Amino acid sequence: MSDVLVGFAGMTHLGVNSAAAALARGFRVVGYDPDREVIEALRRGGPPAVEPGLPDVLRRHASRANYTADIADLSRCDLVYIASDVPTDGSGASDLAGIRRLIEGVSGALARGAVVVVLCQVPPGFTRALALPGERLFYQVETLVFGEAVERAMHPERIILGCANPSATLPAALGKFLSAFACPILPMRYESAEVAKIAINCCLVSSVSVANTLAELCEHLGAAWSEIAPALKLDRRIGQHAYLAPGLGIAGGNLERDLATVCKLADAHGTDAGVVRAWIANSRHRRDWALQTLHGAVLSKLEDPVIAVLGLAYKQNTHSTKNSASLALLAHLAPFRVRIFDPVVPATAIPNPRCHAASSELDACEGADALAIMTPWPQFGTLDPVQVARKLRGKLVLDPYAVLKAVACRAAGLEYHTLGLNPDGIRTEQ
Amino acid sequence: MITHRWPAAQTPERVVLLGARGFIGSSIRKQLDAGRIRNLALSSAELNLAEAAAADKLAAALKATDAVVMLAALTPDKARDIATLMKNLAMMQNTCAAIAKTGCAHMVYFSSDAVYDGAVSRVSEDTPASPQDLYGTMHYTREIMARSLTGVPVLVLRPTLIYGLDDTHNSYGPNRFRRAAQKDGKITLFGDGEETRDHIHVDDVAALTLRCLLRRSTGILNAATGTSHSFREVAEAVSKQSRIAVEIVKTPRGNPITHRHYDVANTIKAFPDIRFIPLEEGVARVHREMLEKS
Repeated sequence: MSDVLVGFAGMTHLGVNSAAAALARGFRVVGYDPDREVIEALRRGGPPAVEPGLPDVLRRHASRANYTADIADLSRCDLVYIASDVPTDGSGASDLAGIRRLIEGVSGALARGAVVVVLCQVPPGFTRALALPGERLFYQVETLVFGEAVERAMHPERIILGCANPSATLPAALGKFLSAFACPILPMRYESAEVAKIAINCCLVSSVSVANTLAELCEHLGAAWSEIAPALKLDRRIGQHAYLAPGLGIAGGNLERDLATVCKLADAHGTDAGVVRAWIANSRHRRDWALQTLHGAVLSKLEDPVIAVLGLAYKQNTHSTKNSASLALLAHLAPFRVRIFDPVVPATAIPNPRCHAASSELDACEGADALAIMTPWPQFGTLDPVQVARKLRGKLVLDPYAVLKAVACRAAGLEYHTLGLNPDGIRTEQ
Repeated sequence: MITHRWPAAQTPERVVLLGARGFIGSSIRKQLDAGRIRNLALSSAELNLAEAAAADKLAAALKATDAVVMLAALTPDKARDIATLMKNLAMMQNTCAAIAKTGCAHMVYFSSDAVYDGAVSRVSEDTPASPQDLYGTMHYTREIMARSLTGVPVLVLRPTLIYGLDDTHNSYGPNRFRRAAQKDGKITLFGDGEETRDHIHVDDVAALTLRCLLRRSTGILNAATGTSHSFREVAEAVSKQSRIAVEIVKTPRGNPITHRHYDVANTIKAFPDIRFIPLEEGVARVHREMLEKS
């Protein structure tokens, strides 16, 4: 066990997963959040976020964790991570008032010499403008991925650290904590680290936008994007882990935030952000894929159709619905009867009076004219297309993320649509 | 994207059609009558909007509770010169002056997809307006004039290529092809008719207008089907209807091929159950109507 006591201010998705990684690396942790209900739940072993493996990690290391709603408890910490949520508005712009208040509160509670590390997504220039001495203030790039948060917090590829003086030796407690993750540490000036975070997200969006653009074209050309993506991943300039799966637009809030930040800064400085705006436009365009496909095949053809929707979360393994493509679709299905199932998000999230909260995937399919699988939860992949076909009244299946096997769906008599493939091309796909 | 001021469909107190005798106006009027919606249909015979006295005359005819549909315009088949532009602007000036005086509950301005740059191949309501000729400039200016009316909820409709039996225009597409097939037994294409365009039946345009009137919709909406066809496909659809063999003739291409597709997601979001007449069905309908009429 390490003698370094690490504080996390904000038991958010980011905060609790980062705290879990610190616990798993052998550190003692103080988890602070002003919300007493969150703290009580954590004390009982209930994390405020759905993440694979998170409850287990927290339970195994519970003896080294102290959850508190009293900010003064952070005074015992050698370093404190600021891990609050930074909310965004409809355009993706950040509201920084909350994080500023939190940093002010934490600063007042800290012991002399304790280090503050900002872990949230903040715009370039934010960290340097804080009223804290540079030798005790750092900005660390978080690379949280919803659904893989614990794994990524435990095993980061590298740690990008914004510093007042990148060539100075790190404070002992911070150096000890970061070195426990056994990965390269890249100190750089604050602004570089803040832009690095944005750059990472821009690269991800760029890859997704390439996939979306070409997958849509594939749907018209008889090509299959699912055949192309693996070939790209074997190109070392692109890489095995490249984001090449087409999707229904950018969601979750964090990528959108950085795109909005780049546009705002480019406007202020007169630099070109045309490509970023094109990514945003492409994202909005692809978000409508399910609605347009449903409209063409069912909504414009049947009287009072019933639509089954599987998945409400913005991606698998999370409870978050921020900018979820499923919710965007359902907002436009308000005049129709819908049958909904999500393993985690309750159907009450949908303000549709004609919504039926199904008890299972197959219950959702019962009597529906079409099925839309809007979140790629792994359990949806175990559905038997033959059973789905039996339950459905119609034949249309929209499976943008290819959770089901196209050929099996076709064999079951379903009219199967997925991103990057023309339905007529399914027979020749494999 | 448009916004519905009325969450559910309601019947407007009265709809005033300006340019009611035209191709689109007649179709809207028919649907208003079919829906038993009170309307006042004004054409240039009753009210010449280009005249100086038109503003007062129109103001006297209008009520503050009216929904006004402004269709009146001198179209490019009549003239494309600066004088026509100025007359069209004068018509809108008088219309706006009348509405400013009397007020109205809703205004639907019939613009055109000529407000978009013709070189743009995929168009949505987010596509920046960038008119390339006086006709497009006229419509875009009139859109801005309409939107400048204080306190009036305005919807701008931007229809793409409209076809139907009563279309007096003879522009390249279903109408001209039908007439050519009837008259000469021959349809002449530019090149091989590779260019793709979105053709919308006039009844669909009228139905969309009615939907917007019944929901008091505001904003900008393209009137398009979302499905584009090559001119060859259009020619073949027309040819299929003809009792005589129709020759489809290629000619040497003078201009590069351009395409136009519409993203109609905003229309679907506004009216999720909306249906458009497929081109082949629409062409057949026009043909049937033509035979009935003759």
